[in-house]
Amino acid sequence: MLAYAGGDLLAFETLYRRHRGTLYRFLLRSLRHRADADELFQECWSRLVAARERYRPDAKFTTWLLQIAHNLVIDRFRRQRPQASPEETETVLRNLDAPDSEQPERALSEFEQRRRLQLALEDLPEEQRVAFLLRVEGGLGLEEIGEITGAGRETVKSRLRYALARIRARFQT
Amino acid sequence: MSLPRDPDHDLDRLLADDGGELTALYRRLPKAEPPRRLDRSVLGEAARAVRGYTPRRQRWLLGVGSAAGIVLAAGIAWHVGQDAVRHEAQGEMPVQSAPAAPSRNQNYVPVQPLSEPAAKHAPPMAQDAVGAAAPAAAPPPAAAKPVPRKAGARAKDVAPPLAQPATPPVAPPPAAAAAAPAAEAFPAQTQRQEAEAATGAARAGAAAESDLMAKERLDDKALRTRAAPAPPSSSVELRRDMQLAPEDWLAHVRQLLHQGRRQQAIESLRLFRKAHPRHPLPDELRALLD
Repeated sequence: MLAYAGGDLLAFETLYRRHRGTLYRFLLRSLRHRADADELFQECWSRLVAARERYRPDAKFTTWLLQIAHNLVIDRFRRQRPQASPEETETVLRNLDAPDSEQPERALSEFEQRRRLQLALEDLPEEQRVAFLLRVEGGLGLEEIGEITGAGRETVKSRLRYALARIRARFQT
Repeated sequence: MSLPRDPDHDLDRLLADDGGELTALYRRLPKAEPPRRLDRSVLGEAARAVRGYTPRRQRWLLGVGSAAGIVLAAGIAWHVGQDAVRHEAQGEMPVQSAPAAPSRNQNYVPVQPLSEPAAKHAPPMAQDAVGAAAPAAAPPPAAAKPVPRKAGARAKDVAPPLAQPATPPVAPPPAAAAAAPAAEAFPAQTQRQEAEAATGAARAGAAAESDLMAKERLDDKALRTRAAPAPPSSSVELRRDMQLAPEDWLAHVRQLLHQGRRQQAIESLRLFRKAHPRHPLPDELRALLD
């Protein structure tokens, strides 16, 4: 990022290719609408480009990027209440195609598992979902999640614990 | 899949390095990727941001640089235009602009049409001399000085006209036609020169050839001097410097110092300081600013 702030466009391209998938999936699974995810994905990179000279390598780049994304997501949540209906959630799930390289029998059971996980994620309260996604998609630790969400370490642990309990409940039904 | 039932154990597994079973399952979810149009849009924006990057306080430099560039371009265009006019006057005027020539520059334009009749009326030997001189006469640019010719110099002055058929072989009829009006405009001079050319052409051929070559050498030198790329103006260079990465910019400043262009180096360094106020300066460069 420092190289890009100094004018090195190739550095930005490398950075972008490395993080585009993570950021996009975080946004898509947080927002549950492709159009919203597309919009915020672009907005997120725009803000990053605009703020390139303010970047300081104190934190990981991923943390900084997801911090911007999280702020945008929270803004969007605030504007979009009430949340999407279960029908809309099902529509999103249908739009997410499964990989082609799976065996039919195994694919069926795995599909069911993935479907349940997706549904569980959709049902999670926003704060728990964001904490969970920051962990599994962004690979962030408790401190980093707390830094991004503005919550203490114990709060983050609590959110994750609740999230896991809800997901487990979905698998037991 | 069997998920652990103890919430704390579940959390520990999630926070483990491998992320546990749940993270593994999450990673098997469809890997949604941003569409390509977003890639293009983001990368384009990033590129524009870098290319268009200039510190706000220095934007006036862009204006000054642009103005300097325009002046430079206009100057080059003017020089090229002048060269073209001289070139035409020397060698190609009869074909392209002879009809307008008599009213424009009576001092030297009439000489051009004379070449045609002179060559026509010259004996075969003179025609050979014409042919021999032609290839070498192709680039005779700025030798046409609008100085009135003296009678004693006439024999030699035939030389440039003798060289003119370098163009006429390509399009003789238009050349002849174009030569006619100019010749009519100066009948006495034309006749006198025709006569002199007819009697002295053969003798003048060899002398003219050497004379012409000497002129060409001078002209080529003049042309080279004129055509040599002018060193970029200070503001243009500064503008280029602003596009460099900080380290490259400092290296460029050092290079300027090595080239003995101290003032340019200082200007560039001042600009660097304004553009990158937080970037540390090496001691030897900081001393330049003090």
